[in-house]
Amino acid sequence: MTINTLARGGWDREQMACFQKMEKVIVAMQDPDMGMKMRNQRLLITVIPHAMTGRDMITWLIQKYCICEEEALHISGMLVRYGYVYPLKEPRSLVLRPDESPYRFQSLNLFPLWINSFPSYMPSAIYLAKKNIRKQGELMEYEKERYSVLHKRINHTWDFVVMQAREQLRASKQRRKADRIVLECQEQAYWLINRPQPGAHNVLDMGLERPNNLSARVTLVSDIITFVKYSEQYQNHDPIMQGCLPSNPWISDDTAHWTMNLQIVPIPSRLRVERWSFSFMELLNDIMGRREFMIYLEKEFSAENLCFWQACEDIRHGESSRIVEKVEEIYKNFLTPGAARWVNVDSKTMDKTLKGIRHPHRFVMDDAQMHIYFLMKKDSYPRYLKSDLYKNLLAKAIVPQETKKR
Amino acid sequence: MGKDECKTMLDALNKVTACYRHLVIALGSTSDSQNLREELKRTRKKAQELAVANRTKLTSLLKDKSISKDDRAEYERLWVLFSSSMELLEVDMKRSLEIGQDFPIKVPTRHLIQTGMTGSTTTVAARAMSVQNMKYEADSNIDTADLRDLQSEITQMSQMMEEMEMKVQVAPWAVEAKQEAGAELKSNMSVGNSSVGVISICEEEPKEEDGGGGRDAGFASICAVLVFFVIVTVALVLGYLVINMS
Repeated sequence: MTINTLARGGWDREQMACFQKMEKVIVAMQDPDMGMKMRNQRLLITVIPHAMTGRDMITWLIQKYCICEEEALHISGMLVRYGYVYPLKEPRSLVLRPDESPYRFQSLNLFPLWINSFPSYMPSAIYLAKKNIRKQGELMEYEKERYSVLHKRINHTWDFVVMQAREQLRASKQRRKADRIVLECQEQAYWLINRPQPGAHNVLDMGLERPNNLSARVTLVSDIITFVKYSEQYQNHDPIMQGCLPSNPWISDDTAHWTMNLQIVPIPSRLRVERWSFSFMELLNDIMGRREFMIYLEKEFSAENLCFWQACEDIRHGESSRIVEKVEEIYKNFLTPGAARWVNVDSKTMDKTLKGIRHPHRFVMDDAQMHIYFLMKKDSYPRYLKSDLYKNLLAKAIVPQETKKR
Repeated sequence: MGKDECKTMLDALNKVTACYRHLVIALGSTSDSQNLREELKRTRKKAQELAVANRTKLTSLLKDKSISKDDRAEYERLWVLFSSSMELLEVDMKRSLEIGQDFPIKVPTRHLIQTGMTGSTTTVAARAMSVQNMKYEADSNIDTADLRDLQSEITQMSQMMEEMEMKVQVAPWAVEAKQEAGAELKSNMSVGNSSVGVISICEEEPKEEDGGGGRDAGFASICAVLVFFVIVTVALVLGYLVINMS
């Protein structure tokens, strides 16, 4: 509906489909016969129409789409979180309360998805300037900070920001009092979502995945090719396609196959060692493979790379409570100049990581980890595959005899 | 003098941009109407005129090699203001095209969004056009021809902006703003009064609406109450005198 060919800046197809669906729900709610029941919001002197309660929204969703209450709660929660609907009491708390709390629809112009295609800081600055004027300087702390950051960043156009802020306020004085209230509430809700308070969850954050701009068809073809290659490579390793040695435990009741392929065995099977040569990830994912690789790296005096990678993985997958101490340890052991196990990360990544360490979180080491991963993959991994260590292992590996079928 | 002329034109463009933004907010909502679409059209055309005039004037001023360094710095600052205004206008125009296409007025294909805004935007548009009252013509093809015009105007505008960047060598980062942070607070405009009361209604405590709520409207109602009491007192006094006389 409102999503068409105009530039949308990096949203992936699933997110946009999600927005389209939410917009359809919003439009369906406007039906004068079958839509939401609207009430009036009574302020001291003014009466503003088009308010609805949380409970009404849930009931309407349940009736219209024949869903259960839990799902209705989830959907209406999303409508509030993404800013299609905003709360009238407690505007900073963007949750849907399934009681008498009032909500109102957001203006089409301020629906989500729009601001992210506007690449400049101006609208945010104009809003803060307007708020500054209205509140005579009484902004919240994080708003004051943002204000000064923006002032530095777009200083060249600051005069315009001030001029436009003043003019917009003057223009809004031309409107009725009720409309002015609605406008201010709308704007506030919009900016709470698009520039959330630090620490608040940012729903419009695109996350870690870099947006992929390839066209659908190209990705489909390349995915198919990758899949075919994968199938060919792993054909011999698939117990269903190729049969497993010594025998299929489900058929022969002999658990030898499983015992031989435990995570840690004295001698790995040949197929397993072969798999380590398929990809670096395959090697790293196998505990024994990792160990063997570590032994090799120690011989080459570059074991710190793998240790670093492992420590980063530990942070990524480990407990949140220990993230800060783990990051500090990594910093001490691997990143300080002159550290015992210093890793060779390029200066740009190092700068970025060091900055990130000041506010550690689960993914702060990602860039450095990726850099080291690729270093190992390009450099140490191919050499390992050609090394004597690996070749000996391959030669020693077990190829179990196929047991005669009973 | 060139500078003052430029500043006046820029102020006018700034005003029109702000008003256009207000008009676009109402699009697609229940306060959308034929009149609103017409207001948008006329404001837009006015913005285009001002934009072209500004651009011509500023380009000619900047091309003049004989101006002083201070003058040149000032013109560059005005240039940056001008291009920022154009940026905002372009975004708003694109958005109004989108919404206009999705929510046609004559043959509605979708329900309009009930946003709570009910008043008209006539005064805003009148402010943009710098007229006392707006006069409307019942344009029958507001949904088709007008949108086509809008599309071509958006293209024109993007082209103009690209040309501007190519032809005029102004480095935006070299321009320093005249206003410091917080300059808007020292303004001599009285925008503070009425709106300050209003915003407290949106904040955490709706109870505040008592104290802050519509200071100007509260003032008017206090006056009304006073007048009422005065009239009642006068009526009582007169009644008393009448009774005494009879």
